[in-house]
Amino acid sequence: MNRLHPRIRVVWAGQAVVTAAVVGLVALAVDRLAVDLPAWTPPAVFVVVLTVGVGLALARYRVWRYEIRDDSLYLERGVFTRVRTVVPFVRIQHVDSARGPVERLVGLANTVVYTAGSRGADVAIPGLTAGGADDLRERLKRLAIRAEGEDAV
Amino acid sequence: MSRALTPLSILYRVVERGGSLVFTAVVLFSGASAAFGPAGGVVGVTLVGLALVALIAYEVVYYRRFEYDLGPETLDIHSGVVTRRNREIPLRRIQNVDISRNVVQRLLGIAAVDFETAGGSETEASLRFVDFEEAKRLQGELGRLKREGEPRFGENGNGSGGEGEGGHERECGRDTPVADELFALSPRELALVGALSFDVRIPGLLFVFVSGSLPAVSSAIPVGGSPAVAAAGLVAVGVVIVAVSWLAGATAAVLNYYDFRLARVGDELQYERGLLRRYDGSIPLDKVQTLAVVDDPLKRYFGYASLRIETAGYAPGSGEGGSEAAVPLARSERVFDLANRIEPFGAPDFRRPPKRVRRRYAVRYLLVLAALVGVLYGADLLTARSLPWPPWAPLPLALLVPVAAHLKWRHRGYWLGDDHLVTRNGFFRRRITVVPYYRIQTVIDSRTLFQRRWCVATVTADTAGSLSLGGSAAAAVDVNGAAADGLRADLATRLREELAARRGWIDGRSRAESESDNGAGGDAPDETDTGSDT
Repeated sequence: MNRLHPRIRVVWAGQAVVTAAVVGLVALAVDRLAVDLPAWTPPAVFVVVLTVGVGLALARYRVWRYEIRDDSLYLERGVFTRVRTVVPFVRIQHVDSARGPVERLVGLANTVVYTAGSRGADVAIPGLTAGGADDLRERLKRLAIRAEGEDAV
Repeated sequence: MSRALTPLSILYRVVERGGSLVFTAVVLFSGASAAFGPAGGVVGVTLVGLALVALIAYEVVYYRRFEYDLGPETLDIHSGVVTRRNREIPLRRIQNVDISRNVVQRLLGIAAVDFETAGGSETEASLRFVDFEEAKRLQGELGRLKREGEPRFGENGNGSGGEGEGGHERECGRDTPVADELFALSPRELALVGALSFDVRIPGLLFVFVSGSLPAVSSAIPVGGSPAVAAAGLVAVGVVIVAVSWLAGATAAVLNYYDFRLARVGDELQYERGLLRRYDGSIPLDKVQTLAVVDDPLKRYFGYASLRIETAGYAPGSGEGGSEAAVPLARSERVFDLANRIEPFGAPDFRRPPKRVRRRYAVRYLLVLAALVGVLYGADLLTARSLPWPPWAPLPLALLVPVAAHLKWRHRGYWLGDDHLVTRNGFFRRRITVVPYYRIQTVIDSRTLFQRRWCVATVTADTAGSLSLGGSAAAAVDVNGAAADGLRADLATRLREELAARRGWIDGRSRAESESDNGAGGDAPDETDTGSDT
């Protein structure tokens, strides 16, 4: 079982900071423009949202696992609803690797696996190093082609 | 040889479009003559006349420009008045050929033909309009050409069926496509479909409508005075809502399913249905992803059920309340018999969830009930105790909770057949879903916080069927935790084995190769710290 790169916590915590800031600003705007709230409300909202967000980010990191098995990709994730997904290599349609702006900042990347399914249609593995994401993509692509290629024999 | 549309299509299209044109013109005209007197009227008539002439000219040019040609490999369509467009569609990409005719079109003997592919949500090509015989010819010819093209296609081993155990059945119809009628809806069954169709969307709509006018209604109630009058009014409203929904459902069902018949032609299913608008479509059997047998308590009591056939990418008639390639109602035995002729899965012997989940459902229902009572108390406080009943009125429903929990548990289950996963869920709308193992795309095991407390899991076998978005994917809900682990692995293994068997691979060989790769490749694609588990 592989875990994600520990630095993914920075990315997710960063997202939590942004969310907390937005919610805090909304509280501030409500305070200024609409209802008079106690002065400590906006900072308190910010701190609470931030704590929950960072806590979730850490918990998410602790839960996330993935594994490349003989004939399938196996993922385990989810803080509240624990989801385990099995993606057989024969079912992989195509594989992407992508890097968002925050991920580029901390030198991480993610790999997205697409299937023709209707609900698990795209499965993303976040928190890989840039090289690691490309390697994983190449490796999954090779495995998918081979799984499908046995066809021609 | 290219063919043109039927000349009658000019007439039909002009009338269809000209109708709305004339209608707007009449409105404008009455406005204009009121404003400018008789002179305005003359100008209006002239303008409408010009527009009509332009419309007729457009439709004539459209008709003259439109050419289609069903070749051995492709369907070519040349069309366009302002922008010319030439489109070629490879025949084997065409999944469904749908023919539809409304009343006027049937009187004129013309039909609209739509060609659907799995790719997009929109229709790939449509012919507006051709003679009905020509439409049927196209449908049959396309099926024949696809069958002829199949050996060539099959050599690539694209696994489009044929080698499985259904193969010998399919081969029978390869050269002489005989229509083998699988199902025809008898008038008695049609009447039952109507009687048992209850459009559940109508109560919702009416509820929104009524609650929109609630202030008016509630202001009227105190005038009436006594709570008895209010209660009687509520009952009356309820009866009307039920009657309207039932009538709407019955009408829609009869219009949709009048003279429904389903036949197997070669390796395609063909259906026909409809009273006012007649539909006529085809579904290739190898595109069928899942089958679903659906019933409700009423249907179960009388021993009836309905069948749905789901295909990849394109869901026939998903826009109008139910798949067209579905048997709306028949005796349960007949439905299972028919389902078995399409996918031979046998007689399922369901394994129910562990008994403890009944307590889980009971707790869930009690929580819902508690929330409802809480809301009523809140409403009572806010409206200064003007509710016609005490806020604890729903509490006696708690007596029903054990029954409901038991029923929910009873109608749940899954079964692993030789080649199929069969799942069963729901009491009011029970759905038995049949998924061939080789159609599984991914296997998803999810456990919510509550499910983890009860140590159960939901295992979903996802397929490429497009209707699955509505939560209808085959899911074994509330399976024992350990069993779920086994089921997850089992489904993935069976998928691999079935695919290997269907595609004619040697099973042991692919196994050995996978293992050798696993050894050589290693497992850590990057510098993640493996092994530092919890």
